[in-house]
Amino acid sequence: MTPIVVIDHVSRHYRGGTTALDDVSTALQTDTITGLLGRNGAGKSTLMRIITGQEFVSSGSVRVDGQNPLENDAVLGRMMFVKESQVYPDIKVKRALEAASWFYPGWDAELADQLMRDFDLPANRALKKLSRGMHSAVGIVIGLAARAEITLFDEPYLGLDAVARQIFYDRLLADYAEHPRTILLSTHLIDEVANLLEHVIVIDRGRIVVDANADDLRGRAVIVSGRASAVDEFIAHRDVLVRQGLGSMATATINGPLDDLARARAREMNLDLGPVSLQEFVVRSSGDQRERISA
Amino acid sequence: MSAANLVKVARLHLVDRFSYTWMVWGLMAFIFAINVAIFAVIPLTQPAGDFTGALISIYIFMAVIGVQAATKFLPFAFTLGVSRRTYYLGTVLLVVGLCVVYAAILTVLWWVEGLTGGWWMQLHFFRVPWILDGPWYQVLITNFVLMTLVFVFGLWAGLIYRRFALIGSVIFFGCLSLIVVLGVMVITWRGAWVAFGSFVANLDILAASSLVAVLAVLAGLGGYLTIRRITV
Repeated sequence: MTPIVVIDHVSRHYRGGTTALDDVSTALQTDTITGLLGRNGAGKSTLMRIITGQEFVSSGSVRVDGQNPLENDAVLGRMMFVKESQVYPDIKVKRALEAASWFYPGWDAELADQLMRDFDLPANRALKKLSRGMHSAVGIVIGLAARAEITLFDEPYLGLDAVARQIFYDRLLADYAEHPRTILLSTHLIDEVANLLEHVIVIDRGRIVVDANADDLRGRAVIVSGRASAVDEFIAHRDVLVRQGLGSMATATINGPLDDLARARAREMNLDLGPVSLQEFVVRSSGDQRERISA
Repeated sequence: MSAANLVKVARLHLVDRFSYTWMVWGLMAFIFAINVAIFAVIPLTQPAGDFTGALISIYIFMAVIGVQAATKFLPFAFTLGVSRRTYYLGTVLLVVGLCVVYAAILTVLWWVEGLTGGWWMQLHFFRVPWILDGPWYQVLITNFVLMTLVFVFGLWAGLIYRRFALIGSVIFFGCLSLIVVLGVMVITWRGAWVAFGSFVANLDILAASSLVAVLAVLAGLGGYLTIRRITV
């Protein structure tokens, strides 16, 4: 696999001492759906804004297909970045779609029409008069129909109901299967997108804490529970994400995978092993610093 | 950056063409109607007819839509992968294009005004002594450079506000006032008011238009430097 976006030691500090990104290095693989996960204010949006040249780095570099995206029309024109609370001018929905179509040679008007029907969007209504969910849906329609080589969705479904979100996932997957492209999706609804993602990046307090293939990640983390002394013995020398104790009992989440030998040993020690969902894994790996032993 | 992209940005602005068409000329017509009404009831003070100066309203309005245009489509343009530079140059292209059309319309109205003896009531609305007087091409050029100046200045002010917020805007206008005050002080200090007066009086209107054009280019440059590191 070849990376199309390479982020190399990128930091972003703001005046007043806030650090949005702290020495972030990662890459987006060509024609892959990557999930960008993390808490509010973890730095997800800043990272996406930097990739699309909308924000400036304090140090480090970003390369999109080998070029700096900042003020680079050739590269920027191949990207589409739909934000959570996208600001639109005061125009009608159909006009916004029409305008977007001028900028993307791969624009699929048929797909746009289809999505408009799926989301029940009124083409003649002014964008300012749309409900929260419809407003988000417009961003999704534009983001998908543009067929941009690199598409970034930053929390694209604020206010969308579960049915509409499922439509988004289905359409995204279907269109992606026909027209593979690089997609970066930031979201809070981790369990919902877990099966969609091929790669997962977890960002916490401006730092990348997980950057792994989604298949590797699924079933990698394991929850161990049982007597505290047995748990501690079992998790010694392992990559422990969290350990919580309650009286003589303890629970620990460890970063696996565990081989058969380790599983047999856990059974001998009367320990329960359980799988961890992607959401739990992200929560554990970006939890409070005090609880975290290592990540 | 390519010419095609600049045209796309200009087209993007025209998606919301209401403020560039009905609003501008609706306002113009409204103000003109008020002037006609006033002239209809008030006797002329000069036998050659009176000048109203109300044309300045369209110029003020140009500055206002300049402020709006500066950032109205910027977040959407960012989403569509447009760089700051392309957005700005495309917007300036639109401004220049619009000002050509507006100046032409004003000049035609100016011509009709002359033809009809001031709308049959010696009302000089589109004709302003010294500034918008003389041959038609001079009027066209003067209208064009003045409009472009206020429009581009509006763009710059809008970008300053977007990038540096209220404090920045206050400092911006403070500095501009300071430049004017310093100029006045220097002229006073050097006792040069007579020389300045004769310079202005002798200034050919085309030379004055060139000066205005230089100011417009400077304002355009200021806007470009301001948008370069803007974030939305």
